[in-house]
Parts: sequence; C-alpha cells; structure tokens
Amino acid sequence: MAGIKLRQVTKKYGSINVLNSINLDVADGEFLTLVGPSGCGKSTMLRIIAGLETQSTGDVEIDGTSVNDVRPSLRDLAMVFQSYALYPHLTVQQNLMTPLRLRDLDFWERLPLLGYLVPGRRAKMAKITEEVRTVAAVLKIEHLLNRKPGHLSGGQRQRVALGRAMVRNPAAFLMDEPLSNLDASLRVHMRAELSELHRELQSTFIYVTHDQAEALTMSDRIAVMMDGDLLQLGTPDEVYKNPNDIRVAEFIGSPKMNILPGVADPNGQVTCLGFVLDQSLEGTAQRPEQGPVSVGLRPEHLTLRPDDTEGCFSGKLTYKENLGSDVFLHLETEGFEQRVVLRVKPHEANFAKLGQNIFYSAEPGKMILFGADGKRVGLTTQQSNGKPD
Amino acid sequence: MRKSRAHYWFIGPAVALMILLLIMPVFVAATLSMTDYSLGNSSFNWVGIENYEKLFSRRSYQKMFSASLTYVLLVVPISVALGLGSALLISSLRFGGEMYKAVFFLPVMATLLAMAIVWEFALNPIVGVVNDVLRSGCDKSLVYGLLSGSWLGYEPTTSWYGAACIKKFPLWLGDKQYALGTIAFIGIWQGFGFNMVLYLAGLTSVPRELYHAAHMDGADSAWERFKLVTWPMLGPTNVFVITISSIRSFQVFDTVEALTGGGPSKSTYVMVYAMFEKGVKQNLLGIGSAITIVFLAFVLILTLVQVYFVNRRVHY
Repeated sequence: MAGIKLRQVTKKYGSINVLNSINLDVADGEFLTLVGPSGCGKSTMLRIIAGLETQSTGDVEIDGTSVNDVRPSLRDLAMVFQSYALYPHLTVQQNLMTPLRLRDLDFWERLPLLGYLVPGRRAKMAKITEEVRTVAAVLKIEHLLNRKPGHLSGGQRQRVALGRAMVRNPAAFLMDEPLSNLDASLRVHMRAELSELHRELQSTFIYVTHDQAEALTMSDRIAVMMDGDLLQLGTPDEVYKNPNDIRVAEFIGSPKMNILPGVADPNGQVTCLGFVLDQSLEGTAQRPEQGPVSVGLRPEHLTLRPDDTEGCFSGKLTYKENLGSDVFLHLETEGFEQRVVLRVKPHEANFAKLGQNIFYSAEPGKMILFGADGKRVGLTTQQSNGKPD
Repeated sequence: MRKSRAHYWFIGPAVALMILLLIMPVFVAATLSMTDYSLGNSSFNWVGIENYEKLFSRRSYQKMFSASLTYVLLVVPISVALGLGSALLISSLRFGGEMYKAVFFLPVMATLLAMAIVWEFALNPIVGVVNDVLRSGCDKSLVYGLLSGSWLGYEPTTSWYGAACIKKFPLWLGDKQYALGTIAFIGIWQGFGFNMVLYLAGLTSVPRELYHAAHMDGADSAWERFKLVTWPMLGPTNVFVITISSIRSFQVFDTVEALTGGGPSKSTYVMVYAMFEKGVKQNLLGIGSAITIVFLAFVLILTLVQVYFVNRRVHY
C-alpha cells in the first residue's frame, strides 16, 4: 500500500503538450478516478505513473520516494488494461502465474525442462500455485484456470486481468478503462464489484475512465482532466455540485448541464434570456466579470410551470426522452441554438406534447455562473428580483 | 420452389480452369511417369514403376535427394533466423528502418538469374572479388591474425584461413565440397529479405498492450519479453514463413542452372534441376515425370504438416 504523488509532471511529444504541469496527491488506500474526454492525457498520466512512459519534466513519488528512474516492475504497481492484455497462448492459470514466476523464480528456475532440476524450485512453484488459487477463489474463476483467454467471455477475461494484477499484492492498482469493453449491464455490475474489491483490499486504486458515471459511482475522489490540465480534484459530490470550470460542469453529469447565455451588469445583476436572475455576483467593488457570462443549470433543477407566470422561461418541446423513472424534455428556445433539457417525473410530463410551448423555472439558489473565461464566479442570493419561494 | 442453379455458373469457370490447369497436368505427369515416352515419339510402352525404382536405387538420384535436402536444411533455418533477427532489429530502430528494409529486400526483387551472373564473377577463383579480398588479407597481420586464429593462440596453419593462405583459396562453385554451400549462401542472401518483410508484418500485429503488460509483470529484459510475448504471438507467421521458405528452397533452380549445371560431380544436382535435365534436355519424359511426382509429394507433405499439425497449435 502506498500513496502516490505527482509533482509538476509535464509530458511533451515533440511540440505538443500532452500534460501541463500536473500536481496530484493520491492518498494511501484511496480510489481516485482520472476522468476526461478522450485525448485529455489521462491515460498518458497513468502510464507515466506505471513507468511505461517517462515524463518530460517533474517527479513521480511512490511512498515518499522518487521513482523517476525505477523500472515499471520494481515500482510494485499492477495495471489492468482496457484490452485486458492477457497472454493468449497461456492458460488462465499460467497468465496468473506469470507475474509471480518473473518475480520469485530466477533465470535458471524459469528455463524450460532444465529449470526442474534447480533445487528449491518445487517449493517456490507450490507457493505460487497456492497464491494463484487464492486469488482465483476471491474472483470466482477457479473453474476457468485451465482455459485459454480466447475461450472466455469479456467479463471472464476482465476477472482474469484483475486477478493477474492482484496476485502480486501490489502497492497500488492502475486501471486503464477496464470496463469499457464490457456490455452495459455487465459494466454496471462490475462497478459494484470493483468498489467492493477496493474495500476488501484496502489498496490504492487509480482508475482512468472517460465515463463520468463510473467516476461518480466508484471513486473516493475524482480528478477531472481536460486538454492536459487537471481542472478539478474533489469528491464526486463536490465535483458535481460545485464545478469550478464550465468544462467540468458540462462533462460531469448526464444529461449534461444546461448552459444559458447571460449578461452581468455593473451592479452584479445577471440577465438571462430576458429575465433578471434571483442571484447576483458576489462582492461589490471590482467586477471584472461584467459583460457576457454563462449560467449553468442542472436538468433536475428546472421545474415545470403550468402557465406563463412571472420569472418563467419558455421553450418549444422538440423531443421527449422516456427513461421509465424519469423523463427528459428537450426544449428549443428562440434565439438560442443549444437545447435546454429538463428532468421531470413521468406523471409531470404526461401533458406535454411535441411542438407545445413549455414553461419552466429554475429552482432558486441552484444556478452556477461562469465568467467569460469559463471560470466559476461566486453568487449571492438576493430577495428583490426573484419570484418568492 | 424451384432451386436456383446460378451457383454452378459462379463456381463453374473457376473449377474448370483449376481442373484444366492444375489437376489435369498432375494426372498427365503421373501417367507419363509409368511410361518411357519421349516427346516426338508416336507411341510409348508401359513400364510400370520402373522409373520410380530407378529413382530410389541409382546413385545419381540418391545424390539428387541428398543435394535437395541439404540445400533445404541449410537455407530454411538460416534464412528464417536472419529474417526474424533483421525484422526485430529494424522494428526497434527509431529511424533508418526504411533504408534497411529496402536494402535487404532488394535481392528479393532482383532477377535471380542476373544476380547469379554477378555472383559467378564475384566467386571466380582467379579474377573474382571474393578470393581477391581473402587473398589480400593474408599479408595483413591484423586480418590474418583474426581470421586464422593465431591471436587466440592457435597454430595459424591449422586453421581454414591459414591453410588457404599457404595453399590456395577454394574454387567455390567448381569444388564439390563448396558448391552446394555456395549455392545455399546465394539462396539465403536472396531469400531472407522476403522472410524479413513477413516478420515485420507479423510484428506490427502484436498488440502494444501485451508488451506493457509484460513490463508491468516484471519481464525486464528484452529476451524475457521476446519469450513471453513476441515469439508466441509470431506463431502463425513462423509457420507461414517456414513453409514458404521450405517450398521455395525445394524449388531452387535458376542459380543451379546458371552457375553449376548440377555439378561438380552432381553435388548440386537438386530436384527441379534434375527434372529439367531429364525431362527437357534429355527428352526422357518418363523419368522426368517421376521426379516431378516425388517432388509434388514432398511439397504436399510440407503443406499438410502446416495445415493439420502446426496451424492448430499457433492459433489461440
């Protein structure tokens, strides 16, 4: 078990910056998820931690010691790959044994045939076999031990890949999108299993995914990455409720946050789609945010209104997305090309017909404001302008 | 419902051509191998298996089999090993790989007959550049010391090079000790670039992630990773390369025809050359056909071994 630290880590391929000075502290035993769209540098970062790639500048520390010049196998980390990367010519048992054979047997003991003559090999092999059996029992893959990866289903391969990572009892697990090759229902199931496994092993997990749902459901903390920058690091709740950047706000949450155009006046009042909002900019003195701003509203923070009362937005219903437990209403607003999405209960949405004009309002105090540069701007609630609660 | 007969029209032309161009000639050869037919004769006599008896009893045909097999056993392992080695080295290069690929592949593209003539000049015992270079090393102590082994404390005159310096350098193609080896050398030089290209293609299909997994699992040396990932993943390529090289080496003909004509004293009398000599030059179609049938049997065995035994073990 170990904590992992990244200090000012950058990575360049030629003139392209893949990682811009990343600082990250992963606590011992933590489940940390690196999440971001493809190409944001999250997998590169994982491979730098693993030692499969070297950073251009900066330090990687494991358990307080710098591992910049330590080869991957000596960093005591295990990795689970997206494609599982099982050795196709070896049986499941041999696959699970490989890391132990390479660690515990010396060159002579690994030789085919001749190796059997080396004294002490039998005892070592017995120990390795025992450890493999234990891990196989934990993952419930004992009945697969004699099969080859080609004869396993996706979920079974996933377990074997996990097992190969577990047998060495590493200081930390690195996982590179391990669930993305599974079908939807199995993926949801494996999320729960991975979380349980993490609780049982009490080991550090660093998990890379582009799926924000995986990040929200499994992690202790999430690190949102975009274009080589670490934008926000926090618990799933923090990142969801208080995104500090418009890119984080749009990436985390499904359906994604509605971003409406607004204008801030010198008094801190924000006008959005022709309405003055019930919250205004924090502070009174300097207002650099004066001018265009973006107003973020989560779909679940918009409520339907029966008619056009004061402080209501409106839009034409273009699409109704029925998920059974919830209904997403997609609304088109005049003079604004992005659709607004509302999340409502099915019985509330019964009346709504396609093409109809729908009225809705924002729950007070739930809006999130971003300045022209995409950074979060603080808001305070006022009494005067909004509708009464 | 009436059954459509369109499928006959689709496969018909291919089947007809295959029978006409591939299967019929084999049957004709098999039939001729039981006769004493010569081209131009109006009739022939059935001789049964007499031609085959000759093949397996006469001294010159025993030499033929031994020359062909020796050639295959020399060329296949060496050209496969060189092909794999050069492919591994080239794929590990950061730049310059394209140049090496082109250089090693050139002999494959060149006409072997033209290349054979160049080799004939190079290997000429008197004016050839090979012996010239070797000879010029005899009076240079550095080269002499290295090649004759005198630096390692051996008596220089007992080594091959030391003895050759005193007496003379080999006649290469004119010496029955060296002729087959020299022909095999040209075969390797010409053929390994082809194997290299096949291996390069095989190497690109090995998933990168497997190497990463091997790194993580502790396969620290290149040799460990080769054993754990590269070699098993190249299995199908290996089978293909070995089969193709074996068949190609059984078929060696142009270098023999151009350089030695089967000699000296039948030391390079390989099967396809024998076929040509008996069937075409001496117009003994019966015995020529018999050699052809035996040759086909060899190739068939190789192919069957590939399909039935090896292929099953390398596809996971």
